[in-house]
Amino acid sequence: MRVMARHRTAWLLAGLIAGAVPAGGQVSSSWKQADPSYRLVLPRDHAAHPEYRIEWWYYTGNLAAADGRRFGYQLTFFRVGVDPAPSNPSRWAVRDLHMAHLAVADIDGGRYRFSDRLNRDGPGWAGAATDRYRVWNELWEATLDEAGRHVLRARDGGLGVDLVLTPSKPPVLHGDQGYSRKGGEEGNASHYYSLTRMETSGRLWMEGEEVAVRGASWMDHEFGTSFLERGQRGWDWFSMQFEDGHELMLFQMRRTDATRDPRSSGTWVLPDGRTLPIGADDFRLEPLDRWRSPESGAEYPTRWRLIVPRLGLDVEARAALPNQELRTTRSANVTYWEGSIDITGRLGGRVARGRGYLEMTGYTGQPMSEVFRE
Amino acid sequence: MWLFSRFIARRLAGERLRSAVTALGVALGVAVVVAIRLANVSSVRGFEQALETMAGATSLEIVGSAEGFDERRLVALTWLGELGRLSPVIEGEAMYAPRGIAGSASEGDDRAAIEGGRRRASAGEMLRVVGIDILRDRPFREYALRSSGREGEGPSAREFLDLLRDPRAIILTAKFAGRHGLSNGGRVDLAIGDRVEVFTVAGLLDDVGPARALDGGIALMDIAAAQVAFGKLGRLDRLDVRLDEPEQVDAAEQLIASRLPEGLTVQRPSRRGRQVEQMLAAFHHNLAALSYIALIVGLFMVYNTVATSVVARRSEIGTLRALGVSRGRVLRLFLGEALVLALPASVVGVLLGRVLAVGAVALTSGTVSTLYVATGSAPPALDWTHWVLGLLVGVPLSLAAAAQPALEASRVSPTAALRGADRLETRFRLRRRFLVAPLALAALGAWLATRPASGNVPIAGYAAAVVFVFAAAFLVPAVLFAMARAGRRALGFRRGSPVPGSPAPAHRFFFVEGWLANASLSGAIPRLSISIAALAVSLAMMAAIAIMIGSFRETVVYWVGQTLTADLFVGPSSRSGGARQATISEEVERTIAAHEAVEVIDRVRQIPVPYGDSQAYLLAGDFTSLVARGQQLFKDPRDGKAAIRATLGEDVVVVSEAFSIRHGRGVGDDISLATPSGRARFRIVAVYFDYSSDRGVIAIDRAVFARHFGEARPTGLNVYLREGADAMAVRRALLDTLGASHRVFIYTNAGLRGEVLRIFDRTFAITYALELIAVVVAILGVAATLLTLILEREHEFAVLRLVGADRRQVRRMVVWEALMMGAVSQSVGLVVGVVLSLVLIYVINVQSFGWTIQFHMPWWFLTQMTLVILTATALAGLYPARLAARRAAPIREE
Repeated sequence: MRVMARHRTAWLLAGLIAGAVPAGGQVSSSWKQADPSYRLVLPRDHAAHPEYRIEWWYYTGNLAAADGRRFGYQLTFFRVGVDPAPSNPSRWAVRDLHMAHLAVADIDGGRYRFSDRLNRDGPGWAGAATDRYRVWNELWEATLDEAGRHVLRARDGGLGVDLVLTPSKPPVLHGDQGYSRKGGEEGNASHYYSLTRMETSGRLWMEGEEVAVRGASWMDHEFGTSFLERGQRGWDWFSMQFEDGHELMLFQMRRTDATRDPRSSGTWVLPDGRTLPIGADDFRLEPLDRWRSPESGAEYPTRWRLIVPRLGLDVEARAALPNQELRTTRSANVTYWEGSIDITGRLGGRVARGRGYLEMTGYTGQPMSEVFRE
Repeated sequence: MWLFSRFIARRLAGERLRSAVTALGVALGVAVVVAIRLANVSSVRGFEQALETMAGATSLEIVGSAEGFDERRLVALTWLGELGRLSPVIEGEAMYAPRGIAGSASEGDDRAAIEGGRRRASAGEMLRVVGIDILRDRPFREYALRSSGREGEGPSAREFLDLLRDPRAIILTAKFAGRHGLSNGGRVDLAIGDRVEVFTVAGLLDDVGPARALDGGIALMDIAAAQVAFGKLGRLDRLDVRLDEPEQVDAAEQLIASRLPEGLTVQRPSRRGRQVEQMLAAFHHNLAALSYIALIVGLFMVYNTVATSVVARRSEIGTLRALGVSRGRVLRLFLGEALVLALPASVVGVLLGRVLAVGAVALTSGTVSTLYVATGSAPPALDWTHWVLGLLVGVPLSLAAAAQPALEASRVSPTAALRGADRLETRFRLRRRFLVAPLALAALGAWLATRPASGNVPIAGYAAAVVFVFAAAFLVPAVLFAMARAGRRALGFRRGSPVPGSPAPAHRFFFVEGWLANASLSGAIPRLSISIAALAVSLAMMAAIAIMIGSFRETVVYWVGQTLTADLFVGPSSRSGGARQATISEEVERTIAAHEAVEVIDRVRQIPVPYGDSQAYLLAGDFTSLVARGQQLFKDPRDGKAAIRATLGEDVVVVSEAFSIRHGRGVGDDISLATPSGRARFRIVAVYFDYSSDRGVIAIDRAVFARHFGEARPTGLNVYLREGADAMAVRRALLDTLGASHRVFIYTNAGLRGEVLRIFDRTFAITYALELIAVVVAILGVAATLLTLILEREHEFAVLRLVGADRRQVRRMVVWEALMMGAVSQSVGLVVGVVLSLVLIYVINVQSFGWTIQFHMPWWFLTQMTLVILTATALAGLYPARLAARRAAPIREE
């Protein structure tokens, strides 16, 4: 089973933002459901799909300066449909909400900074183009250049990224050729693909300092309308890029009764781009150390042991920096941990090393049954 | 000090009543000055405070024209995002209109709504509705949503948006909701323009941030909902900018100004406050100037008191001097007397001023709300500036007033005073000077009256008025001498000594008391002239103001009669509450047009526009109709209609006289106005008389307006009925049809004329109130002077009793004296009043308000005034008269 539910964060956000839509059930019907016969075609499907309620573009990466200093970054754009056809003719009527999160971690310097944007379309202050790939929020944007490279730009004062990403592997279509089922009901699914390894170069800004950087990024793009999961407390999601050319995407859903959800799963990507699914029974995930956020009070596991016997994988993933907690209490009011990780261990008897990103939600004490209000 | 307490303090204490009256005069003068200052400050501060609290963290704002700017222009302004955060704002006005209170049934009902500007009335309270994008606005302003469930940071933008996303959702302040018994989740009926719309209370704001402004009369809506509700689809009123580096606001302002496209302006939020201040400046200056009249009268009383004590104590001064007291010490003694009176009086005056300010605000806030901006209704608390003001005007001016008599005291020659020989000499000198001074002063005044204003403040005009006031004061002795002579002649006496008590066959005359009164007045001219002058001055001002207001009123009556030609005038009710952008909806227009008796409807749109540093009105009307039916009175050219007809459809405007004078623009000049698509130039083709607003009106043809500013709903309709239609009946029928769904006022022609004059009269109520205080102070002065004289004339009364006068006759004589003082004051006051009124009408008014007033004598008022003053002064003489009669015991052994 290839249920890809990476970035539950987005569903969390979607739930938060769309939670107050009147008479919840009706809303879904006016948005388009994911269709198994739909075939993802790139670069066409990089562009927005406004007929679906929820869509996001997610970039994370591990970079280094010329002097060897290490940095992590996250730049994500969310579009959450609120009302597919607002009765108010004003440009300010809220059809979609656009949210963007930017974070940079200076791993050696022990600094982590983040910023967020939350906007309606208005007269074009935020949006996602349908005719080509361009998603933006105020002055932040992600787009494709003529050479098919992803260009990311986002700045907020002394914080920012200006990066060019070149895919070095073919896209990974999750689920059934990108049709990713989320539940038992028909239509509870999304269209979902990833670019698991992208050569990255450019500049970033940390507290006003401009740094030229190179490294590798990971991109996710997913869109759909119904993604309901009940009884979930949160999830732990990993993206790993191994030095030998493998990638792993893996997550576990934690239920309110402290058990692991059977839909927890992952995808193993071979150096040549072929993929292997990983089921819930195929892996063990064990938290080791914990870090308590002084801001939110949440306690996040910052060191994990992951064992996938089928692959001969036994690694430890450790947060490159304990404090990579992103909080948007003033705007969307979402708090989660998303940060760079170092991976060490063994793969099929050989030493395995890598970098990656880890996302952890549901640690703030707010049960997800409250989050999913629909 | 010892000398002071023996020589001055004991005397002041001894004449407790007179000292108290003098101090009261100064106190009232200071009080009026402070009160008017407080009232003036309150109207500007009310607006500025609202502005400040609503601006929040806004560093700069981008504005377009009076009709806002096209929101699509924001796309070209993305670069602004590099400087800081941006928040677009829509502002609108709504009137609380709970169900059950239908449209006005009688014309009187509109009055209640208008009085509602004081925002006490339950219905009719105005709400300033701010339409924001809460996602953007979060960093700008602090909204404390009641019981949002989250401590500390308040609701997130997303939670806030959820509350507002419903187009009918509105967030009120807890204060406002409490005032009207509204609760969270309940409904609230608001009149926007002429429509009543039902909103749901989506939340209540605690008294933090913008919710503090306007006594809680603030409401929040989502920007999209606000655009629809206020008919501003596609437009924004402004874009607030919060700089990332707020301390760099100067540099940022310059940078933005240099990069902004045509038609958009960057400004500080405080600029709107300054515009309002400018707009109110003339009104405030005039009130302030008026407030000083009472003070001047009070100062005359100080002069009078010190002068009296100097005159009365010449021999004592001589003795002091003979005993070796220096001139300087004598000077200080009498200045000390003034200080002892003025200091406590000023302190009391400041406190009293705060009390009077409540009344002054009540009298002026209605005017400010009706004619200028909706504003707060409570005077601000006293702060140190008011104490400084009070003490600075009270104490030094009192000392200055006392300087002349104190100097004279210091010049008393010890020997002459002891011999009693210098009195006549002094009086002679006074007389000569008093004959020349008024003429010189009058000439100076006449010259000053021809000087131009500096800025919009007629400094020279005020100076001219003050100079004429002094001329009047100096004229008084001359008049008194003339009267004394005339009186003697009329009463059949030959020339003789004016010294009182001179032997005369008094028994031959019926009005012996009158003759005696005349004689004693003649004898006390130097002493009397001051109090008579004080009274004369305040009466002159009173008369002048009465003549000015009377002339103004006549002019307005004539103008209204000439220019108001429509049969019915329709406007949104919220306008009477102070809403300046309220419009007439299409339904209302259709309903009215459908009435069988309606022949033509003229649509008029009048909105405030920033012009220069101030504000003017932009009035869009149908020029074709104006040419066909309008009865405007044109100043330049006389045949303004022809000029308009010749330029129909061109980019031309017609401006009011006030605009023309204020901004120095006349026929043939160009003016530049900000339009939603940039600045545009318009040529002035005519100037017309208008008394509706001193800020000036720029009238433009509707078609030209639409071309530059876009289509917009009218703010009023002028309705012409068919021949023979009954306007009252049509009005009733229309109001019945529009019923509860709409809130409009409809005036008949007669009703509107009445309303105009009612507003006019209310505007000048404060003027009369100020004047009245000055006159009361002056009459107190007369009483005080008589008291002094009586105390000094005990001996004389005794002699009178000895020669056969009874108590009644003594009493009557003193009342006669008072009456004569009143008569002299009033006659001088009337003459000088006419001169002053000319200065007011032709200099001060033109320079500060810019309108032509036709001179008109309010005979009836002046007659009434004369009778009241004579009665009042006679009454003021009653107590001194009773005292005199009591003291006039038959002569004792000497």
